[in-house]
Order: sequence, then C-alpha cells, then structure tokens
Amino acid sequence: MSNLPPPPAFKARGKSRAARIAQLIPMVVLLPTIITTGLYIFVFVGWNIYLSVSTSTLLPVYDYAGFDAYERLWRNPRWTTGVWNLAFFGVLYIVLSTVVGVFLAILMDQKVKAENLLRSIFLYPIAISFVVTGTTWQWILNPSTGLEAFVRNLGWDEFTFTLITNRETAMYAVVIAAVWHASGFVMVMVLAALRGVDHDMVKAGQIDGAGMMKIYRRIILPSIWPVMISVLIILLQFAIKTFDLVLALTHGGPGISTTFPAMFVYDRLFAAGQLSQGAAAAVWMLIGLVIVFLPVMALAWVVRRQRGGAA
Amino acid sequence: MSVAENIPDLDRKRPIGAKKLAGRIALYTTLIILALFVLMPLAVIVLNSLRVNEDILRESFIGWPTRITFENWGVAWSEACINAACTGVRPYFWASILMVVPATLISTAIGLINGFALTKWKMPFAGVVFVCITIGVFLPPQVVLLPWAITLSALGLSQSLAGLALVHIIQGTCFTTLFCRNYLINLPDDLIKAARIDGAGFFRTFWKIVVPLSPPIIIVTIIWQFTFIWNEFLYAVTFASSDFRPITAALMSLNADDTGVSEYGFGSAAVLIAAIPPLVIYFLGGRYFVRGLTQGAVK
Amino acid sequence: MTKLTKTKLGTTVAAIALVAAGAAGAEPRTNMLHQWHSGANAEAIQVLGEMYEAAGGEWNQTAIAGHTSNTIARLRADVISGSPPAAVQLKGPEIGEWASTGLTANLNALAEAEGWEDVVSAELVSVMAPHGEWVAAPMNIHRIDWMWASASAMDAIGETELPTTWDQFNDYAARMAEEGIIPVAHGGQDWIDATLFEVIVQGISTDLYRDAFVDLDLDALQGEDMVAAFDQLRLMVGWMDPAFPGRGWEEPLNMMAQGEAGFYFHGDWAIGTMNAAGYVYGEDYLCAGAPMNSGEPGYILNSDSVVFFEQSDPDFIEGQALLASTIMTPDFQTVFNVAKGSIPARMDVELGDEFNPCQHRSLADLQAATETDTVVLSMAHNMSVPERFRRAMFTVISEFITSDMSSEDAARAMAEAVINEY
Repeated sequence: MSNLPPPPAFKARGKSRAARIAQLIPMVVLLPTIITTGLYIFVFVGWNIYLSVSTSTLLPVYDYAGFDAYERLWRNPRWTTGVWNLAFFGVLYIVLSTVVGVFLAILMDQKVKAENLLRSIFLYPIAISFVVTGTTWQWILNPSTGLEAFVRNLGWDEFTFTLITNRETAMYAVVIAAVWHASGFVMVMVLAALRGVDHDMVKAGQIDGAGMMKIYRRIILPSIWPVMISVLIILLQFAIKTFDLVLALTHGGPGISTTFPAMFVYDRLFAAGQLSQGAAAAVWMLIGLVIVFLPVMALAWVVRRQRGGAA
Repeated sequence: MSVAENIPDLDRKRPIGAKKLAGRIALYTTLIILALFVLMPLAVIVLNSLRVNEDILRESFIGWPTRITFENWGVAWSEACINAACTGVRPYFWASILMVVPATLISTAIGLINGFALTKWKMPFAGVVFVCITIGVFLPPQVVLLPWAITLSALGLSQSLAGLALVHIIQGTCFTTLFCRNYLINLPDDLIKAARIDGAGFFRTFWKIVVPLSPPIIIVTIIWQFTFIWNEFLYAVTFASSDFRPITAALMSLNADDTGVSEYGFGSAAVLIAAIPPLVIYFLGGRYFVRGLTQGAVK
Repeated sequence: MTKLTKTKLGTTVAAIALVAAGAAGAEPRTNMLHQWHSGANAEAIQVLGEMYEAAGGEWNQTAIAGHTSNTIARLRADVISGSPPAAVQLKGPEIGEWASTGLTANLNALAEAEGWEDVVSAELVSVMAPHGEWVAAPMNIHRIDWMWASASAMDAIGETELPTTWDQFNDYAARMAEEGIIPVAHGGQDWIDATLFEVIVQGISTDLYRDAFVDLDLDALQGEDMVAAFDQLRLMVGWMDPAFPGRGWEEPLNMMAQGEAGFYFHGDWAIGTMNAAGYVYGEDYLCAGAPMNSGEPGYILNSDSVVFFEQSDPDFIEGQALLASTIMTPDFQTVFNVAKGSIPARMDVELGDEFNPCQHRSLADLQAATETDTVVLSMAHNMSVPERFRRAMFTVISEFITSDMSSEDAARAMAEAVINEY
C-alpha cells in the first residue's frame, strides 16, 4: 500500500475545475467494477447468509428460523469429514506444490538448454481442466484399468497399486493429481521471481565462498517471498474450491473418505434440496476462509511494508 | 512414483560445485524424469485417442496402440452423439470460442484500467476496494450459482451465452484487477508524473504510457482468463441455452460414466480437442508468461 | 396401433383445449429438461421426441450431462429465475416436494380423459399424483432387485437353478470363489453400494424394508434384522475383487457377462447395455429376482417420470398436454422400454418378442409380488424417502463397505444419520 500516494506535484495543481473533474475520472472508471463486485460479493454473500437462517428447502423462503442449520451441520459426517479432508489436503497440496515448484524452478534456473520446451512441459497441466485432470488420473490410478493392469499385462502378475481404492490412501491420489496440476504454475511464478533477483548479491555471495545451497537459502529465497505469498493465495483459492477434481477422480470415495466441503455445499443446495443447510455450510466455508485468509493478508502486508521501507 | 518421493533422492544426487559434468548429467536426468512424469497423463490420453475402443477396454487405459486409428478424432469432432444430437463437439467448440474470447478480452481490459486507476491515481478507499476484489477471487462457485441465476433472469439474460459471458466477466474482473494492480504498482511513478505534467489526462496516460508497457501482464491475464473460462463446467451447464452450450458440457456428456457403453477412444480425442485452445495459448504465450511475471505481476 | 394412438391423441387434445380456454390455435411445443444425454438413454428419449413431432408438436430438449445434481441445479436455477422448464425428468418424493411449491401444472383433466388411474401400476399412482393431483407422467417401471448371474460361472459350479435364498446364494458364491471366480461383481459409487444393500434388506424381510427405507422407523433401522442385513453385506464385500472402489456400474456388468465374476446385483437398465454389447440371455448371462428369505416374490420398483411446470405461453401449455399424452401411449411405452431395459408403466400393455426374456420376467414378477403385497419403492433410486435421508443412509452404507465397521455400529449409524436429518 505504500506505493499508493500520488505524486505531490499533481495534488498542488488540483485547484482548477477541469483538474478536479479529471481527478474524478478514475473513480468513474472504477465505479462499474465497484458496483458489480459489490453486488457480486456483498449482496450474494448476504443473500446466502439470509438463506442460511431461513427455512428454505427446495426454493428460497424468506423467513427466519434461527441458527439450527449451522449446528446440525457439525453432526453430519459428510461435512465434518469434508472439513478435515480440506485441512489435510490443503496443507499437503500447498506445501507439496510449493516444494516441487520451487525445486523445479531452481533446476530450471541452472542455465538449462531447451528451457522453453521444458517450461512448457511443466506448465501445461495448469491449462487442463480439473475434470479432465481428475478423469485422466482416475484412469491411471484405478487398479483395474490403469497402472496396475498395465504392469500386470507386462508380466508382473503380483504387482498391486491400490492407492486410490484404499480409503486410507485415496486422499494421496487427490493430492498427486492436484500437485501435478499446480506445481508447474508455481515453478513459473518462482522462476520469474528468481530472474528478478539481484545478481550482484549472488555474485557477492559466491565470492565470499558460499555454496549454492547457502546462496539459495540466504539470498534468493528471502527475496522471492512476495511471490510466494501470491503463490499461496492462488493455491489456497484452488484448495478451497476443490470440487470437480475430486468428483472426477474419486467421487468422494471410497466411502466418504475424500469428500470435500464444496461438494457438501453443492450436494445440499442442489441434490438434496436443503437450501438453508447448504447456505449455512457455505457461510462456514466463508468463515473458514476469513480465518485462514487474515494471517495471509497480514503477512502480505508486512512483507510489502518491509519492502517499501527498504526501497 | 510421486513427485514428492523423488525429491530427497534427487537432492542427494546433485553434487555441489565440484564435479561439474556429473552435476549437469544429474540435472538433466532429473529434469527429464520429472518432465516424463508430468507428460504421462497427456501421453495416456493422446495414445488412447489413437486406439480402438475395444483395445482400451480389453488391455488397460495405459498402453501402446496395437492398431492405430485416426477415426476417433473425426468422430469426436463431427459425429459423436452428444445430448441426443450427433454433431460431435464442433458446435460446442465454436460456442465456447464465441463466449470465451469476448469474456477474456473484456475482463482483461477492465482489469488493466482498474489496476491503473487503483495504483497511479489518488483514490479514496483504494485499499478497501482491493481487499474486496481479492475476496471475490475466493468465492466458491457453488455458493453464487443461485444468486447469479436470479440476477441473470432480472437482466433478461437467462439461458444465453451472453449471460454466461457476463458472469465470467464480472467474476474474472476480480482476478484480472488483482493481477494488473500487482503489476502496475511496480511501474515507475515518474513516467506517469511526466505525462501529467505534459497535460495528459487519465485515458491519454493510460493509452500512451500504461498500455505500451503492459503486454506482459496483458498476456498473463489473457492466458489465465482464457484457460479458466474455457474449462469451467458448472456455470456452463446451468446458464447456457440448451442448444448452444460450451464444450465442457459436451465433454462431460462424452466422458461421464453413467450411461451407454463408455467410448474411451473418441472420449480421449474430444478431451484433446477441448484442450487444444488453452494449450496453444500457453505454448505461444509461455515465453511472455515468464517475462510478465518477472516484471512484477505477482509481487 | 398408430391409428389408435392418433385418434386417442385427438380426443385428448380436444379435451385439453376445452380446459385451457384461449389456447385455441396454439402450436404445441415443449422443452424437456433431462439427464439422459448419451448412449441407450439418449436414444430412448429420442424416440419420445420423434413421436412427439409425429403427433404435431415442436420438440426441444435440454440434456444435462454428469450427475443428477447438475440437472437439479439447472432446474432450481430456472425455477428461481422465474422460467421453469415446461417438462422435466424428476422422480419419487421429489415430485411431491415440487408439487407442494404450487409451481407444477395440474394434469387431472388429461388423466381423467385418458383413464390413467386404471392403467398405471397402483404403486405408482401415489407417486405421480402426490396430493391427489396428477403432476407427472410415468415413463416406465425399472426393477432394482435383479440378480444377474454369469452362465459360465454357474456351469463352473455345476448349478442350473439360480439361488432363491441368501443362504443358498452364499453357498453358491463360496463355491465360485473356490473355482477362482470373483463371486460378486460390484461398482464403487455410493448409489451402487446402496442398490446392493437395499436388495439385501428386501431379501431379508419386506417388513424391514418398509419400516426402515420407507417409514424411516428408528427401531427398524438399528434393529436385529438390519444388523443381519449388514452381516450379509459384509460377507459379500469379502467376495468382491479389491479394485471396485470408484468403478462405474458397467464394468462389473461386463465382468459378470464375461464370466470373470459370478453375480451382479443391479437394476434392469443393465439390459440395454448388455443388448448393446451383444451379450445373450441364456448363453452369457441369466437373470432372476434377488433371493428372498421369505420365499415370496419380491420387487423393488423404480420409475422414471416427467413432471410438468406451469407455463404462461399457450403454445407450451398445449405442448405439455401433448407430451404427457404421448408419454402415456402404449406405443411410446413399448418402444421406450424395449431400449431401456424396463417395462411399461401401463399395466395394460402386452409385452411382445421385442422385449428381452428378463423383461417378461419383470412383468410376471411384478404381478406376482403385487398379489403378495411385496412390491416396495426403491430407496437407493430416490423413490421412497426424501433426498436428504437417502444421502445420509448412502454415507453409512458406503462407509461400511469400504471400512471394517461392525454391523452393529453400522445399524446404529443408520439410525443416527436419519435422526440428524430430521
């Protein structure tokens, strides 16, 4: 936010009528966005909150029924399992995508030949939709159609690969598919940031005899922190919206072992015709979002301030 | 064989400093192995699109084509029966283009000009506006589906591609504004100042100074928007009219496992046809993507 | 037949024209929202479109791919935005729920003119006319409690007659396992799990089925019989191959028809798929009603139907009457159901040779089970209880199948799941 104040010279000139009108132009330009996103965010979320305390089932009913739907939610195993799964998946997904992405970016930063080709290869999964990602990985991971059948056809009859059919491990299948989808994107973001790192600092480090690992840890990683926060926001956004991927990959199963909150919300709102319950679940998701999001925003703010101060 | 399992192993292999050649070999080996892993799902679909369906069902979904056929592609493009009309994915493909291109361009343009207004001009509540826009990025689509239905109906845009595009423009504006704002905030203020001293107004400054400096972020934003609008499914089936629907609706119809005998052969070809536009954009724009991000899009 | 249909349609349309005053000169047209987007289902619905056009209507459809929820999402979005579809494929208690919103069209005049009440299976009348008001037209009757058996697997254990009780079934299955055949083919999605389980429950006792899956009686849900049903399910899970989770419903069908697996419990839409794949009754597969410990004939009934929402455009109003009337013609009921594996919802339609032997059997068993009052509405296929209870029970059943939960815990969990939804 430190970059926001306008050039002081302009302020001094803002006396004439024309200048004052000119000053309004950015406001006018932003107005449509403010109105539409205001409608989109506050009115839609507000509508949801209203529904969640109403008696709506099949269709919206605008009355008041209290917070019963909020409480009852936590007795529903599909919801509680979903929340736990999201936390588990979210952490693994964000950490692994970041680790793999950063690792790839570091490798790619070694003046690699055919960089364009390799980068395109690592990046393409993000262009593939979640539905296709899920379906394809389901083909590969399913024992009777995928890897297991393939290896057995090659002659290893005892080969078993039941990651996706075992309720204890199915979540890792979701993580693999999701990390596959996102880590190239993380790589590109980090790679871009690495290219922006001050080369003199790196050289100075090398002259001091620091090893590559040390240089990465001490000089480079700290200076790509702002990018890491953007990465975090984008991954977090993906994690919370996890829906199509799981539906195509595991159908939420085996059992309900890979069910997610967004699936529950959709299920309640549409399949089950429980609008108030679905809306309550959605509100819980938003609350969770705020809880997770606030520290991230705070961190972003701190980082930005530090950079601003340093610059 | 997960990516994660490879990491400690590879780290150990990578010698530090001393043996340079060994280091290069290890580097390329690692990169190639990872690249192969990343390519595997694509390879599986490409191969399946060239296989005869019975072979796929009999052997496994992973396999080399024993009999190569290109028929799947033709069937998927113009013959496969989707939603009770045997038109292939062709009409859906064009419907998608018709909806995605304007939605992408408009939301990108709005995002760029918003970003400019937010960063380079004195604005009350600029920070608040920015935070709100960021929240918009996080709203799960299931939550806003019904409010959108009501809104579109009030606007008389129910069941039309225009309505669908409008939804994507408004939601996309949150993303594009976020991207562009983060890029433009690093643009030197001096440039803008100089233009203003020369008497240039908002639009003139935007057109003469900001736009020429923004191709990287424009490309990044276009890639992002295009990919996500193109791949979106839930809104596509809910808001589009029955006879003119985006390609994701057709894909789901071809690949959903709840009806008929599953046709993995041309199902795979259809998946690839649907994936071509975003892939092409990524490959063509990939270079700019990195350059765009380098210039501060994400800071 | 066609001649008869046409004249009947003529009188019906005339009757409706009287009811809908001002509709004179309207061009009947419709747009049906449904989820039969591909394969045999799409072909079956195409038949409806052709007949509708032959009867003088303008046919349009909106087929929604993917899960049923996508169709419902579209329906809800359309209704909320004030433009409900003229016709939509809906079933079971949902018909009643939507009828209660007051947005559905009343078909009583047409039903009376065509005498639906006399020809539609009694079990279905209460579903199609939930508050004494016809709001839906039934297209077919699907049987859920089918036991499909592989002919070669039966040969392998030297049996010709399919088992009629669960004990006998268990004996057959155990012998198949010894022969290296997978005794039970199974798909791994919640609705497939629930399909198998409701078949078991009906086989254990029809009273248990009615108390638990229709009346949601808490004592029945956690009672001894329910525990016994879960015990039987546990036994059968042991006979499944380990790769079933996530599998669709067609793959197990192929496993059974090709002799890789012995039995498969699934609804009769399987017939459509087996016909398409070229499997032959008697050579590749056998069929029978699932075992009933009581010895009485059993029948778990499922029906697809079309619900009509009130319209303001006279063209669409007229189109609804024409569509409902077309659906109820013996002609349509025959052609549609031959393709879909089900039998006509009209009891007065004679099944010809174009129907599969299993379909003939379905009709005979339905009549027998009606005599003994052992016909029940399917829980798994959304015919007996509201969706939220169904989902809750699905969760327990699928969790049971994929974990090592004890039968007692599962029965208790069923009761808890249901109570939480009240």
